[in-house]
Amino acid sequence: MPSIELEGVYKVFGDEPDKAVKLINEGADKDEVREKTGQVIGVQDISFEIKNNELFVIMGLSGSGKSTLLRCVNRLVEPTKGKITLRTDSEEYDVTTVDYETLRQIRETQISMVFQNFALFPHRTVRENVGFGLEIQGVGDKEKNRKSQELIEVVGLEGFGDSYPSQLSGGMQQRVGLARGLATGAEVLLMDEPFSALDPLIKVQMQVELLDLMEEMQRTVLFVTHDLDEALKLGHRITIMEAGKTVQKGTPEEIIVNPKTEYVANFVDNADPSDVLRAVTIAEKDFRVSEDNRVKINETTEVELSNGQEVEKGYLAGTPVSIEPLEGYDSPEKEVILYVSPDTPISEIMRARLNYTSTPVLVLKDQELVGFVTEQNLLHGLLEKGRG
Amino acid sequence: MGDIFSIYRIPVDVWVADGVDWLVSNARFIFQGIKWPLAQLLDGLEFLLHITPPLIFLILLFLFAWWASNWKVAIFSVAVFALIGFMGKGLWDYTMTTLAAVLVSVIVGAVLGIPLGIISARSDRFYAIIRPFLDMMQTTPAFVYLVPVVMLFSIGTVAGLIAVVIYSLPPVIRLTNLGIRQVPDDVVEASTAFGATPNQTLLKIQIPLALDTIMQGINQNIMLALAMVVMAALIGAGGLGVPVYEGLNALRIGLAAIGGISIVGMAMVLDRVTEGIGEKAPGKRE
Repeated sequence: MPSIELEGVYKVFGDEPDKAVKLINEGADKDEVREKTGQVIGVQDISFEIKNNELFVIMGLSGSGKSTLLRCVNRLVEPTKGKITLRTDSEEYDVTTVDYETLRQIRETQISMVFQNFALFPHRTVRENVGFGLEIQGVGDKEKNRKSQELIEVVGLEGFGDSYPSQLSGGMQQRVGLARGLATGAEVLLMDEPFSALDPLIKVQMQVELLDLMEEMQRTVLFVTHDLDEALKLGHRITIMEAGKTVQKGTPEEIIVNPKTEYVANFVDNADPSDVLRAVTIAEKDFRVSEDNRVKINETTEVELSNGQEVEKGYLAGTPVSIEPLEGYDSPEKEVILYVSPDTPISEIMRARLNYTSTPVLVLKDQELVGFVTEQNLLHGLLEKGRG
Repeated sequence: MGDIFSIYRIPVDVWVADGVDWLVSNARFIFQGIKWPLAQLLDGLEFLLHITPPLIFLILLFLFAWWASNWKVAIFSVAVFALIGFMGKGLWDYTMTTLAAVLVSVIVGAVLGIPLGIISARSDRFYAIIRPFLDMMQTTPAFVYLVPVVMLFSIGTVAGLIAVVIYSLPPVIRLTNLGIRQVPDDVVEASTAFGATPNQTLLKIQIPLALDTIMQGINQNIMLALAMVVMAALIGAGGLGVPVYEGLNALRIGLAAIGGISIVGMAMVLDRVTEGIGEKAPGKRE
């Protein structure tokens, strides 16, 4: 059950980091520090916690310090200041102060890594690449080969175990990188823009596979990317970095709905919100219940409530129709009113509107009416990202 | 304006002469100590090569060249050495002596040059310190150090070998350093990220990936060793330098020529064969 906590992490490149940290604390920004001391700020005062089994995304443009921050976690880059705590089932490590041998063991068994340009070993076969971490652990040949083969199959590279990296396409190479990262059994996986070097189609495919793998293998992932769509798609939570600082932290939806700075808003404006926004966020929640316990949804649609807010019956143009869940629904010829749970992404409602029904979709929580989603709500959600 | 250089004379010549004198009278035992293992190695190899019947030698050469490179290089190698032998039995013996010296130079290159190259790749400071020495070793005219070498090591085969090693060692160090520095940073980083120690990274990642460049260093080591053979003959090294030197002295153009042809032929064979080994290096997978 690993978790990682970062508290006030700084990285200053240069030989007088203390001076630079002091200036920052006095309110100077990156450029001022550079001008006055010649020190370059990589990362300043970053704090967050990655929970067990979470896929936590660090997003930012190049130069924002995101890769530097990632490397502070396994100390490929030595943090200047701050504390990084790794908690596992049995131990708690202060990664920033452990001695070299402990750090090496953490790298060997607790934290593994996947790289942007794959960083495969060109002189080793796929199997030897995947087995590298096990080789360092001192695992015997037989066990190492069995485990490597297993991971090669997990990432879908059966039959390529004896190939060399240069014989594989980019997507296949990164599968090797991923298998190498998973093979050591480390529960924490650091991923440094793993899909950025891939073609768009392969990239989407790999993202889906990563999500599947996450469900299957139970890993805690710290994922770095410059692509907001990727961050929104993969991240349970996202932290957005600019010039070494955190500018916003939150769930994908929180960031889409409520970008805190113009920097974030610029990203969000070009993002596709349909998989991120939830039904409850865009739904019309301001409805009136008439005296006979009915709610008028639009010109032709009405529902009847009982026991307070519970939805009892539905009417289309005065005729009673059944109310059915959208999840698993598959009979487009029937006249029905569909409902979804509050957390359903709006893309699913859009698909339902396209395929099954022209009436608004109800949003129910434990059978109680929370609101409903009309065409108007959907369009507003898409164009205004649920704001206002 | 006058001659500014007449104001003072830096007596470097005197310093060097005094320094060598001091070494000869006080530290000669150190140099004699260095001499002993080299002499054993050289004499052993030379003996072995001389008692090997030429036909056996040619067969072994054929097989080795085939393994290292391909059958074309194997045939070429045998043809060249056979040509040397048919030009004269004496020439064959000189060739074996020179081959022994080249082999010792390769061994010293591997044992001394590769580790120094690795240290250079790991430490900018170390490389900055040894670089001027490498420059000196490669550019100081041999005539400048032949006399001190003879004073310290006595005249003979080892003195000649020392001259050969001084001249041929630097490329091994330089190219080992270059090869290891050329291994991409992200690959080294990946190795570290999986918990490899610096030595594991060196053995499992950096050296295998640098091996073809290191082999080029060995190749250059051989070429330069052969270039030095004639010079070494002046101080008693024996080998193919002897016919060239004697030919020159007695104006026997033919004798000098067959010596020269043998050196060039040997150089070509050794170049092709070591190139073949370099091609096999795992770094070539890229």
